[in-house]
Amino acid sequence: MKTILKTRDIHKTYRTGEVETHALRGVDLEIHAGEFTAIAGPSGSGKSTLLHILGGLDRPNQGEVWLGEARIDSLSFTELAKLRLTHFGFVFQAYNLIPVLTALENAAFVLELQGMPRREREAKALEALAILGIAELTGRRPNQLSGGQQQRVAVARALAANPRLILADEPTANLDSKTGLALIEHMQRLNSEDGVTFLFSTHDPRLLEHVTRTVYLEDGKIVKDSVLQAA
Amino acid sequence: MFALAWRNIWRKRGRSLMTAGAIALVVLITFLFFGLGTAVDNGLYQRLTERAGHLQVHVTGYRDVREFADGLIYNAAAVQHQIQATLPEAEWVAALDVPGLLEGDGRSRGIVLSGMAHSPALRAQFSDTHLVAGTLPELNDLQGIALGSRLARALRVELGDTVYLYAPGTLGFGAAAYTVVGLLDYGEASLDARSAFVSLAAAQELAAPDAVSRFGLQFPHITRLIDDARILAYQEALSAALGPAYTVETWRQVEPAMAATIELTEPMMAVFAAIFFVLAGLLVTNTIYLSLIERIREFGVIMALGANRRQVIGMVLTESLLLCLAGAAVGAAFGGISLAFMAQGFSFPEPLASAYAELGLPRVFYAGISLSQVLTVLVFTLATAILAALIPARAAGKLEPVEAMRFTA
Repeated sequence: MKTILKTRDIHKTYRTGEVETHALRGVDLEIHAGEFTAIAGPSGSGKSTLLHILGGLDRPNQGEVWLGEARIDSLSFTELAKLRLTHFGFVFQAYNLIPVLTALENAAFVLELQGMPRREREAKALEALAILGIAELTGRRPNQLSGGQQQRVAVARALAANPRLILADEPTANLDSKTGLALIEHMQRLNSEDGVTFLFSTHDPRLLEHVTRTVYLEDGKIVKDSVLQAA
Repeated sequence: MFALAWRNIWRKRGRSLMTAGAIALVVLITFLFFGLGTAVDNGLYQRLTERAGHLQVHVTGYRDVREFADGLIYNAAAVQHQIQATLPEAEWVAALDVPGLLEGDGRSRGIVLSGMAHSPALRAQFSDTHLVAGTLPELNDLQGIALGSRLARALRVELGDTVYLYAPGTLGFGAAAYTVVGLLDYGEASLDARSAFVSLAAAQELAAPDAVSRFGLQFPHITRLIDDARILAYQEALSAALGPAYTVETWRQVEPAMAATIELTEPMMAVFAAIFFVLAGLLVTNTIYLSLIERIREFGVIMALGANRRQVIGMVLTESLLLCLAGAAVGAAFGGISLAFMAQGFSFPEPLASAYAELGLPRVFYAGISLSQVLTVLVFTLATAILAALIPARAAGKLEPVEAMRFTA
């Protein structure tokens, strides 16, 4: 399979006053097109940090990050912003929808940042909401949606721009188990039917039954990388 | 992004209403301020041009002459004919100003006696504006005189009394006795105390047969300062027609101090308006900054999704612009309505009205606002919106997405 994202020996250290925290200690990882990958590990293992660096939200202190044939860890803020806008979709743990926008407008937000005309972006956003089964909620604002619905809008926002890779940081952490599982099943269907590549972090072992690959992190290092059969 | 910015503004409705209200108030005050300033300027302009005319014709070099005789236009009838042929739309006054000593009831005062012949419209205007008792001397009346009220009081004379004028060094009889037929109120105390009015024929008999000191020209269709530039074309045409022996001056050249005062009004008002806007701008900065602090996580998400620094700065600036423009629109609406009423004419309450009259201003003012003043308000509003949001916008642009998403207030 084609490698779309890879890291070489990346290290990340946070400094708080005199205290240094080594979040990542030499991570080598390749993500291939069409994968449905989970990064698993206990709290503090470096899952979020790794996702942030892979998604161009943060930079490593050492090592390399490649998107296809382009090295991205040394790009400027503006170049990284453009990269995130055009290549990645993001889903966050706390949904992070914009409260004054409707579900449709939230789903279309990345497209608006890209400068797409209103009619076109709303059509794409509606399509994404329909894929996630919430087309009837287009006019509702986040405070009128349940947690699961909000997270599906967030996935639709990531999906609408048709990115090469969707990165999700603990997407089910704030959802009850049933709703979380339903969301993962939606993502899984997008992966298997539409070929969308997903990389998400989780500490919920039940979700790992649905992924095609699990990367285990402990203390900032990959301790296990297993390719599984989808359930 | 406009829709997002607009909705963001109304997240904290009370705070935004207060800020937009402050801008509205400043715009309203500025409109009224400009309107009143324009009213006073137009009042001054009206009085000045009534008194001096829009244009005056003198002999060339009249300011430097030492002898009374050297400052006169001797072929007055021919010059007047030329003026009326060149500018038939102008109302005119031919005046002979004679310095002299006026005596009555054993008291005397140094005065300027003005012998004047007006076109009918200007005579009626002069009478309406200044005559407070009796009549004006008729066109060929050689006996009648109208005195400034203060001058009459100083001389202790009333209507029907006789006064004596001495004008040594002039070219006529040099002395005359007149009967007081009218009392005048020039508005200004200094003018009232040293001015007297006779017919042009009487002044010519006294001081300079067939001569005048000046012609004043007034254009009835130019009543507001904003239209004043049109007199320059008339000045040019008349100068060309009369030739180099005569000087045609605008009221600005005749009254340079007043002209400079009027010219200063608008910049001074703009400076005060700018101070109002600076104060309102501090409130806008506070509002936008608080709004940023409350939404740092949201800005982090927006940047994480791919917004660049320019887009984030643009969002903050857009919110500030919408907030200020909304307030300005409300303020301008109220200001415009108020000025529309005030444009019909208004008076200041006493004793302010009398105090202004003493300064030569009319008792009824007409408010107005020029396009340049409206544009000044718009520019001040835009500048306030941008400058007030600059610091918060820069702060937003410097946010790092991951740190911003972790932010807790």
